[in-house]
Amino acid sequence: MADQRRQNGQARATPEIERRLFLQAGLASAGTVLAASVMSSPAASAPLPPRMTNTGADQIPRRPLGKTGEQVSIIGLGGYHLGTVQSRELAVRLVQEAVDAGITFFDNAWEYNDHRSEEWMGLGLQGRRDKVFLMSKVCTHGRDKAVAMKQLDESLKRLGTDHLDLWQIHEVIYENDPDLHFAPGGVIEALDEAKKQGKVRFVGFTGHKSPAIHLKMLARDYPFDTVQMPLNCFDATYRSFEQQVLPELGRRGIAALGMKSLGGDGQPILYGVVRAEEALRYAMSLPVATTICGIDSLDVLGQNVAIARGFKPMTSQEMQALREQCRPSSGDGHLELFKTTKKYDGRVGREQHGYPPPELLPL
Amino acid sequence: MIYRKFGNTGEHISAIGLGGHHLGDVPTLDEAVQLVREAIDAGVNFFDNAWEYYNGKTETILGRALRDGRRDKVFLMTKVCTHGRSGKLAMQMLEESLRRFQTDHLDLWQIHGIVYDNDPELAYAKGGVLEAFDRAKKEGKVRFVGFTGHKDPAFHLKMLELGYPFDSVQMPLNPFDANFHSFETQVLPEVNRRGIAALGMKSMGGTAWGIKAGIVQPAEMLRYAMSLPVATTICGMDSLDVLHQNLQIVRSFQPMTSQEMDALRSRCATTAADGRFEPYKVSLRYDNPMTRMPHGFPVDRTQREVTEMFDKADGPWLSPETTPEISRR
Repeated sequence: MADQRRQNGQARATPEIERRLFLQAGLASAGTVLAASVMSSPAASAPLPPRMTNTGADQIPRRPLGKTGEQVSIIGLGGYHLGTVQSRELAVRLVQEAVDAGITFFDNAWEYNDHRSEEWMGLGLQGRRDKVFLMSKVCTHGRDKAVAMKQLDESLKRLGTDHLDLWQIHEVIYENDPDLHFAPGGVIEALDEAKKQGKVRFVGFTGHKSPAIHLKMLARDYPFDTVQMPLNCFDATYRSFEQQVLPELGRRGIAALGMKSLGGDGQPILYGVVRAEEALRYAMSLPVATTICGIDSLDVLGQNVAIARGFKPMTSQEMQALREQCRPSSGDGHLELFKTTKKYDGRVGREQHGYPPPELLPL
Repeated sequence: MIYRKFGNTGEHISAIGLGGHHLGDVPTLDEAVQLVREAIDAGVNFFDNAWEYYNGKTETILGRALRDGRRDKVFLMTKVCTHGRSGKLAMQMLEESLRRFQTDHLDLWQIHGIVYDNDPELAYAKGGVLEAFDRAKKEGKVRFVGFTGHKDPAFHLKMLELGYPFDSVQMPLNPFDANFHSFETQVLPEVNRRGIAALGMKSMGGTAWGIKAGIVQPAEMLRYAMSLPVATTICGMDSLDVLHQNLQIVRSFQPMTSQEMDALRSRCATTAADGRFEPYKVSLRYDNPMTRMPHGFPVDRTQREVTEMFDKADGPWLSPETTPEISRR
């Protein structure tokens, strides 16, 4: 496992240099064992996922979305990756095939891929809008309600619809974000306004950085319908949303939306620490409404649909075993770069928070 | 020059120290040597370095500058860069550092870069770097030991809680830090309570982005850091001009009043709140390539050390002294 992990070809080095770099890259194994023994064990008796419906062998099951009365498919199509595929035609086909396969939850954000993600999803949903639960995210990153409402109108136009089923505050990842969002005249007031106008049905927030920031948002007691967060078998033992945020959502009856089930860009799979299927099944077995998947090819769509069809959650023993398998490589966050680096922090948020762009501060 | 107690050791060090990393930014060897020698002549005696800086170049430069009897005039520190690996590797790095410095002992040897959550456990692991500390002290190769890190006060506190008798602890200290994941409020009091020498660094915030944004001035930043209960403030100096400016601040130094310090902290509070001017806490920017790689973090070419590493391919990571043990894993 560790040997495979060392095949981390991030640096553009000559093969010889690279080989020698990775020869050095092993952590003291004794230390890893100690680290495991001093860390507390995650609760083996985590709450079960909500009961599924639509459970036929060739169907994608659905789960209730918190207290909203809605049901959504247990996997969702991620909007970011949709905007990265090589052509509009492929994007449209991915959306259409996903809907036709029974995926109902569609994720997006105003800022993804210079708005291409929303445009392409809108094209794909022509004639299928009513079959899906459509979400997008507002990207004020601390700016005021007026900016939010303008973005909402732009999102609606690109997505070719008059309403969103879910509108979430995107990327709550900076420590002062909760204060900025809840400031008078801030984005929270836009959520209220948009609901009143009938442009959005439900509201929530997202973020990939820190459970503490999520908990700060929740502590304001605003009636969020959903909260989106990274959930995977590495998170379980490292700055854990699963341990810290998920139970709080359960208490409040808020729907949990999982993301980054493969660690963001699939590094753990590339390094051979886990297999893609078990990583995805782990995330789907948590008490979440859906698991949002980055899907950038028909192959990946087919694989995810196959895992979702007739899905049976892992047993708590299986989940515990996988957490233990991942624990030795989870302790420094190198498999969850969204928590530990700038890599996943978007350009618009950086601008609003006075950070350099990705070219100057990639990590 | 002002001298202060180095913890409870009975030693005294200059209130500013010369940072080793920036020696790698000085255009020529001659200029770097001159910078070190002028600093010594002005009374600076605390010299910082690390085994991994610029492929070992900065230790070699400092070694050259300390020739001709200057070694004995300074309190020489460098850092060991195991980053979770073995005590045996640490001893090999120590030999390499001593050879580059052309000396038989260090005054202070510190664990470099406690910057990832599991670094404390790895440092304390059986066969780890702390066993090398014991051995190096016993063999007379180092007099005092400590650790450094720029990421998270919680990691520093964990290192202290686990109980090794460190003589020094190095950390970022500046008025932005005072407002955000603060070493000043969380770690500094604990270090002083234990009689350990506190070594300040990043008095300008590392990148000096707060200065470039016009929020703060360099002189008040250095004065702020020096007004905290620290043994020294390590300053990156890449030119004689910077050295002269720093010396001027030290010569006229009066500690800030608590009102002045409060006012400066307040001025920094808004922009401190999202970490924008402390990139060492919120990004990998200040994690050197040899800090990242043993943990499996990617490196990137925005770091000059990375471009040098790949352009020259002559770093210590390729030297036979420090690779054989690792190759067997």
